[in-house]
Amino acid sequence: MAIDSVSATPAVAAPAPSRPCKPGRGGASRRPSHWWVPWAFAAPGLILFAMTTGYPLIRSLQISFYKWSVLPTQASTFIGADNYLRALGDAQFWTSLANAGVYLLMTVPATVAIGLFFAILLHAKIPGRTTFRVLFYIPVVTSWVVVSLLFKFLFTTDDGAINWFLTDFLHVTQQGVPWLEQRWTALIAVSVLGVWKNLGWCLVVFLAALGGVGEELYEAASLDGANAWHKFVNVTLPGIRGTLLFVTVLQVIGAFNVFPSVLLMTNGGPAGSTEVPLTYMYKQAFSFLDFGYGSAMSFILAIFIFVVSYLQFKFLGEKKEMVK
Amino acid sequence: MKRTFALPVVALAAITGLAACDTGGGGAQSAPVQKLSTGAAVSGEITFWHAYSAAGSEIKALEKTIIPNFEKLHPGVKIKPVQVPDADMHQKLVTASAAGSLPDVIRVDIVTVPELAKIGVLTPLDEAMPDFQDWAKKMYPGPLATNKYKDKYWGLPLDTNTKVVLYNQDALKSAGISSVPKTLEELKANAGKAGGGKFILAEGGSAAWQMLPYIWSNGGDMTDPGVTKASGYLNGPKSVAALQMLVDMYGQKTIPGNVLGGSGGTPTADGLAKGTYASIVDGPWTFPNLATSYPKFQAQTSPMYSGEGGSVSVVGGEDIVMTQQSKNKELAAEFIRYMLSPDAQKAMGHAGQLSAEADMASEMSAVEPYYAAYLEQLKTAKPRPATPQWAKIDDIFTKQAQLAFQGKQTVQQAMDAAAAQIDPLLAQG
Repeated sequence: MAIDSVSATPAVAAPAPSRPCKPGRGGASRRPSHWWVPWAFAAPGLILFAMTTGYPLIRSLQISFYKWSVLPTQASTFIGADNYLRALGDAQFWTSLANAGVYLLMTVPATVAIGLFFAILLHAKIPGRTTFRVLFYIPVVTSWVVVSLLFKFLFTTDDGAINWFLTDFLHVTQQGVPWLEQRWTALIAVSVLGVWKNLGWCLVVFLAALGGVGEELYEAASLDGANAWHKFVNVTLPGIRGTLLFVTVLQVIGAFNVFPSVLLMTNGGPAGSTEVPLTYMYKQAFSFLDFGYGSAMSFILAIFIFVVSYLQFKFLGEKKEMVK
Repeated sequence: MKRTFALPVVALAAITGLAACDTGGGGAQSAPVQKLSTGAAVSGEITFWHAYSAAGSEIKALEKTIIPNFEKLHPGVKIKPVQVPDADMHQKLVTASAAGSLPDVIRVDIVTVPELAKIGVLTPLDEAMPDFQDWAKKMYPGPLATNKYKDKYWGLPLDTNTKVVLYNQDALKSAGISSVPKTLEELKANAGKAGGGKFILAEGGSAAWQMLPYIWSNGGDMTDPGVTKASGYLNGPKSVAALQMLVDMYGQKTIPGNVLGGSGGTPTADGLAKGTYASIVDGPWTFPNLATSYPKFQAQTSPMYSGEGGSVSVVGGEDIVMTQQSKNKELAAEFIRYMLSPDAQKAMGHAGQLSAEADMASEMSAVEPYYAAYLEQLKTAKPRPATPQWAKIDDIFTKQAQLAFQGKQTVQQAMDAAAAQIDPLLAQG
């Protein structure tokens, strides 16, 4: 066998110059001659992406310029940017954006801070560490629909556990708070669910990042007489800054896209005061068949999220460069 | 490197090109209506979508009695029932219409028929079924009218209902109210007697379904009789006064917060059984549902609280329609006939569904004693305005009413704004 392979090697290892596509050692500067080879490998993924994301995306961009008819057999009318202008002048759309902003402020800092706090605790070698990690991750894998309905019951005015706790246990109020019947209390209820649900994901990502911060840095800091707080500020935070940015950007995008919890807990009510962009565009499309208007709003939201994410990278990302 | 971008660019162009190609299409929205026969032999399989409730015995009546009996009458045929939860039905119909995946026969909420007819997915039954008039003649005029859009009938009434006052005698007694209020005035006068976390009346929302009985009974209306405008009707003095009474009661905490959309408080029927709410206004399905959840409780009935306009409640119920795309319209028509037959109507009557056929009235009262109150109320009950824009109009009305309940606008301001938004929608027809 050994002899065979040795004798066979030269024939294979000595390719004719006319066949440069064989990636050889030290052939890093050579380009494969068949340009389509990498595309062929990427094709299955690209085709799936084109079908499930690319096509719907382009199609809804197209729909957003039409007074769109639901049935393919009926004519749709091209109306230019009318749907976009209508959205910009729609007070309810701005209310929904403002509500997403409030939700963002109530959930993202809390989720990131609490997630990081527990990640640091669970990074330490404490007993039952794996159990705790699993427990924190359970909310992430549970269904949004199920937990939204559960939270709705928790926040029910008459028989809800939260009101029972406030009135009969803590005695801080005589009358139950009508949580889901007023704008701000309803947004608080939805935000509590948001933090609870997303915490585990942040925690797991932070745990991975913490594992990547070198032990020697902590040892060096100890030698310099740093206490735990100094180590956190000067070693841990700079060490995970990239992850912090990544988590924050994704959480901000997620906050603008909050949907099932609002739909199921308040359905945007009362009087549209807790509407968020996704519930509002969903209603336009699927309740009122105004797919053009719903699509236009979705693109305005996408541009908005793009700008916010860009700003985050610009400001938070630059600091990372400076540290380097 | 440029060459490597060719593929996605071509693909992109192909996709956009494709997308652009099937935009618009022809204006021809309906194929010629297929004329069906009566008594022809039927075969094959059809799908039937419905929102019959799984809480009571409606699904059981459909799947264990009605469909097996139909299949026995016509050996070899198969009816495939699909339950779509009531809350999802409208959306499911819309997406299925767009995707061309509607079933053959649908039991659809009466307010949705004009919308489906307008987008062109229904078969006009008066043109397709030669025996349509025979069936139409049997129906109460109110429910039958809900099938009419642009001078054609797109369905037949499958069941009908209305709402009456349901009250809890013990709850009234413990509030010191000797007998159930009969008029809006009496209701208002006795409202303050409950209290301590108890309420004289609960409404589960501020949609037209909940508010119109008060508006109509007080002599107001939502639109003109021809359903062409809301201004002068919805914001007229009698409509506003009816809502003002409820808004005042909410302000005095004599009706609970459910009226803001029902996501926070005890559901109305549960509250009635528990004695938290002395009265609610609800339909015949409440009885079988209560019997399942609160077997010891017996709700009492009384006509809708009356006012200047009389005691006027709202017509609810479902129509049965056939889709344009059904591949087996003969079987679909035969199934519709069976669903309207005395056998099926009686089976559904036992499950809480009131027949819309006038000659079934005495049989219905015999089935359930509480039906009598509903049959009596039906004589004056009115349907909500029949318009393809109903979903949007109801949303506008609900939102504006909520603003009034929250005190963010006066009732007059809220209804002026609602009428101003609804008028252009009605003008679209």
